[in-house]
Amino acid sequence: MSEPAGVRVLDDFAWDEVWGAAKGAAAPCFQCGVCTAVCPWGLVQKEPVNVRRLIRLAQLDADGWGEAIWLCTTCALCEVRCPRGVPVSEIILALRRLAWERRSVPKGLPTMLWAVHWDGNPWDQPPSQRQAWAKGLDLQPFTPEHEVLFYVGCTAAYDRRSQKIARSLVALLRAAGVSFGILADEPCCGESVRTAGQEGYLAEVVAANVRRFEEAGVRKLVAVSPHCLDMFRSHYPPWDGFRPLHYTEYLAELLDAGRLRFTREVRGTVAYHDPCYLGRRHGIYDPPRRLLAAIPGLMLAELPAAREDALCCGGGGGRMWLETHAGERFGDLRIREALGTGAEWLATSCPFCILCLEDSAKVLGAERLKVVDVTELAVRALGEASLPHPALSPTGGEEKGEGAPVRGAP
Amino acid sequence: MKALDIIVCVKVVPKPEEVTVHAETRTLDRAQARSELNPPDMNAIELALALRERHGGTVSLLSMGPPFAAPYLEVGLAMGADRAYLLSDRLFGGADTLPTSFALAKGIEKIGEWDLVLCGEESSDGATGQVPAGIAEWLGCSQITYAMDLALLPDGRLRGEREIRGGHEVIAVPLPAVVSVKLGVNEPRFMDMERRRSPEPVTVWSAGNLGVDPAWLGFEGSPTVVGAVWQAKSPERQRRFLEGMPQEKARLLAEQIRAAVSPQ
Repeated sequence: MSEPAGVRVLDDFAWDEVWGAAKGAAAPCFQCGVCTAVCPWGLVQKEPVNVRRLIRLAQLDADGWGEAIWLCTTCALCEVRCPRGVPVSEIILALRRLAWERRSVPKGLPTMLWAVHWDGNPWDQPPSQRQAWAKGLDLQPFTPEHEVLFYVGCTAAYDRRSQKIARSLVALLRAAGVSFGILADEPCCGESVRTAGQEGYLAEVVAANVRRFEEAGVRKLVAVSPHCLDMFRSHYPPWDGFRPLHYTEYLAELLDAGRLRFTREVRGTVAYHDPCYLGRRHGIYDPPRRLLAAIPGLMLAELPAAREDALCCGGGGGRMWLETHAGERFGDLRIREALGTGAEWLATSCPFCILCLEDSAKVLGAERLKVVDVTELAVRALGEASLPHPALSPTGGEEKGEGAPVRGAP
Repeated sequence: MKALDIIVCVKVVPKPEEVTVHAETRTLDRAQARSELNPPDMNAIELALALRERHGGTVSLLSMGPPFAAPYLEVGLAMGADRAYLLSDRLFGGADTLPTSFALAKGIEKIGEWDLVLCGEESSDGATGQVPAGIAEWLGCSQITYAMDLALLPDGRLRGEREIRGGHEVIAVPLPAVVSVKLGVNEPRFMDMERRRSPEPVTVWSAGNLGVDPAWLGFEGSPTVVGAVWQAKSPERQRRFLEGMPQEKARLLAEQIRAAVSPQ
């Protein structure tokens, strides 16, 4: 049956499917289009992602969303702007779930899921190498007597650049006298599974992890990645005493308690990039800034789009596992913003952000701007007594990481 | 065109990077290693499922291994396979490629209805590539090895494309046939979680179920003698960094490569 141009015939089967998947989340939308207007894709592509249209299709429970659903970085900029509080990324992820059922998913995503299944990480790296980042650090296996579980996460464990963040954090926790341990067989939190839209498999991953954490007696957990934090805080069933924290929150607590002290000067100016999953998702804007402000000699500059307005690096929502064409990377815009502030450092507190921003800095030839993690500046401010920092030792030093080279994205 | 009944032979293998070699017993130590479905077998399953989508029919999985292999077959069932069979018996243990291909061929005969057997090109632990060809010989049927793609021709023959040096070779064989599938020719679909939650039971057959002489099976039936086994040392990275402008770095790099590859 053909239909006149501009007329869409609704399909009853799709109606049930889409309504069920999005659980009616699109209902409050009154189609103002603010979401489309603020979507960062409009900054890098001629046509913005028509978020309003996607939501309308979801309201009508109709097909036709196409590939646009895979572009969303789930940065939540549209969500904080939406006058009706529509959970746009939840709807996008629901549509991705339907795309899996219809076997219409971008190349590469099934392979990433298989890596999580066989290897326990989305980076397609051997499980036996998960602790290679900690070589020479003599870390303890977690026991319930420890103050915190240091949850490293797949990216900081395997990606060579991100391993330096984990090593810096170890130096900081030790300097503050924190007793902590790591899980010998640390499981993947499942963030990449969730953002890929594989809700069914996610349930399996989460159930296994909750069992593992409960058996180990995990209560206070400190995560390197805001993406892991988001999983533990918003997508795991809470259990008695479970308190997941981002390291910036925890280090700020240690600072307040007087356990962590920055005594060495670090001269220069730093601009701070708010990771979407730390800022907009969990309102953690101040702890990283307090850490940077506590470093003697360090000046803090704000990027033009900061805090709730911050521009995404481009790595969220599963985009780490998909190719983003040169010239369409949000990171490029962010690096230009940072260059405009005159800062020497662009600091952030998310491994995905570091990878995307550092890539953009390289592509743009922004050599005078160094992309760093907050921990990497903080570790420089530790007093002489706590030197040498493992993070700055030759094996964990400036250029070299440990373990097998990481393939794939970014 | 008729529907295709396909049997995919799969193997549960230890992840290669986690296996250590026992010099004394001349065997692989798999105790600490995580296992997985042999990667090219995943490509074979994907190809089988794609052929079933095109032509109809069934996809069955067949494996030989210890009982712990059953959950791995369930992974293949969750991908979409209709049935799974596991040949599991101490008598199968210690087999080289001769009794392995023999037992699998007997398993295929016992399954009965089949037009096409798919295997991965080789296993990531044994890496001989002999089993698919062995199965074809035992079954006395045509074979295509290292196939990249398959299609059913209107005359009922199977068309296979294989990579050869400098090009592609296209051949057609009559069915039934055994085909080994090249690693990485497709992206294996992920599990369907509905199927994952309620897997079909895996049928387990012992050596007795196959009705064959035990002398043809396992260690006893294996003519291979392992003379020695040792672990190859991976080269130590030298971590040398070149300094200078890109042109200068390129010149230095070329110099070092030349020095490294030129005959002494």
